[in-house]
Amino acid sequence: MAIAVKTEGLTKNYRLLMHKDPVNALTDLNIEVQEGEIFGFLGPNGAGKTTTIKMLLGLTYPTSGQAWILGKPAGDIEVKREISYLPESPYFYEYMSGTELLRFYANLFRISGSAQKEKIEHLLKLVGLYNDRYKPLSQYSKGMLQRIGIAQALVNDPKLLFFDEPTSGLDPIAHSEIRDLILKLREEGRTVFLSSHQLSDVEMVCDRVAILNRGKLLKLGHLDEMLFGGSVEITASGLDASAVEKIKTLAKSVAAGDGLVTMSQDEGEGVGKVIDAVRAANGQILSVIPQKRTLEGLFMEIIREVNK
Amino acid sequence: MTILTIAKTTLGEALRKKILNIFLLVAVAMIAFSVSFAFFSYREEITIIKSMGLGVIAIAGMFIAIVLGINLVPAEIERKTIYTILSKPVRRHEFLLGKFLGSLLTIFVNISLMSIIFIALVAWKNQWHPEFALLKGLLMIFFQLYLLSSVALLFSVFTTPVVNFFLTSAVYIVGSLSDITLAMSRGEEKNFIVKGFYWALHNLVPQFANFFTQNPLIHPEVVIRNEGIYYAQNIIYAIVYAAVLLIIAILLFERRDM
Repeated sequence: MAIAVKTEGLTKNYRLLMHKDPVNALTDLNIEVQEGEIFGFLGPNGAGKTTTIKMLLGLTYPTSGQAWILGKPAGDIEVKREISYLPESPYFYEYMSGTELLRFYANLFRISGSAQKEKIEHLLKLVGLYNDRYKPLSQYSKGMLQRIGIAQALVNDPKLLFFDEPTSGLDPIAHSEIRDLILKLREEGRTVFLSSHQLSDVEMVCDRVAILNRGKLLKLGHLDEMLFGGSVEITASGLDASAVEKIKTLAKSVAAGDGLVTMSQDEGEGVGKVIDAVRAANGQILSVIPQKRTLEGLFMEIIREVNK
Repeated sequence: MTILTIAKTTLGEALRKKILNIFLLVAVAMIAFSVSFAFFSYREEITIIKSMGLGVIAIAGMFIAIVLGINLVPAEIERKTIYTILSKPVRRHEFLLGKFLGSLLTIFVNISLMSIIFIALVAWKNQWHPEFALLKGLLMIFFQLYLLSSVALLFSVFTTPVVNFFLTSAVYIVGSLSDITLAMSRGEEKNFIVKGFYWALHNLVPQFANFFTQNPLIHPEVVIRNEGIYYAQNIIYAIVYAAVLLIIAILLFERRDM
């Protein structure tokens, strides 16, 4: 599979007035995003997510390192025909209507005439704003502005989309609609580079994620691999009190009630020892379930570890 | 095409800006108000209407050019509209030139609206004989504002609107006193550093004073020798000077982090 985004040693330092040392916004970022995947770009505020996106779009220049988009250097004007960007909380020219705004962006791609008309109609219907197409944007709600923002990002049929917090400040329905739209974009073969604080969204849609903190990449990989593993939950019955006491020395946690005993242990040899102990006490194993961590749990774990 | 698209959007937004509309309305009201000086003789009355009209158009145009120019780039960055535009196949110089052209179109529309009322008023006072000579003065005002806009655009690439307002206004004031700075640089002052300072001020700051042609237009007895050459020189000066400022603005904007 071809690479949609690649960075090598991408670094950005800012010099601030009255500060002797530069601020490191991003340090030595090395990532690869495959074509056709939804790539989650996570991190707390100030992690360097938006700075990275701006460098990938050619809006900001790196202090060192390089980036390639669809095989060409970041910022290349030809590449910009095939990508799009939705910034966090975008603002558009308020005097324009939805149709006028899309016409403006279509003109920047030199899409004109009947092709433009059809494209605009299709996009307005896709994001559910067709009935509000003549309303000035000053009368649009935050959710509607976000949706017209997505429509402008689709005006050129992009191969690669950069979304910065696309669901920020939206109600649950709009949230779910945008999630579905992102999944649909992947089905159509597009690549989505999704920067977000909404970890539940990322968990639901992303194939791979990168976690950043204070400008440094902390973790990069497949979401499934990151979330699975960790601990295993074993449920058994038929254990008496002395057996439970013995298992407590082997398991990480033990909870007993209603004749059932639920034990958890980190993946590895420890799991086998707990199972052996249950069997030795003539207990019956009812289930052995590998526990899936939540992305939020993993994220907090990683950030806390680094901040220690 | 891209430059025109951005220019049209800049014009559309500017024409809806309340503050610019207020400048326009006040200016139109003041031009109309000049008719009320009916207690002067006919000659004096027409002189006052012409003088006030051209003066009001120049001042209102100056405010419009500065207020528009100082916000051209910072407003786009603050609202993040620049991110969605420059992430599309738009080169930075196309964006900047589009914004500049948009501001010029806005100034042109505003000056034209004021001028129509002004010329109609003078024609009415002249028994419906329009004075097309006034168009020369209005043309000079437009090119003066064209030059002023390029100054505001240059500063808007790297300063905040507030700082830009004071910088552009200061340049306008110094440039409007270019006769004085010229006199000071040639005067009796012995200190060559002071003389050099005035020489630099006179030659480096745009000479806005050269575009004030009200006197010969209002008082027919004042004559500009080689009128065609005088106007042509000033127009060429404005075009070349603004082009240099635009090139500097583009070079700075190309390297700027958004």
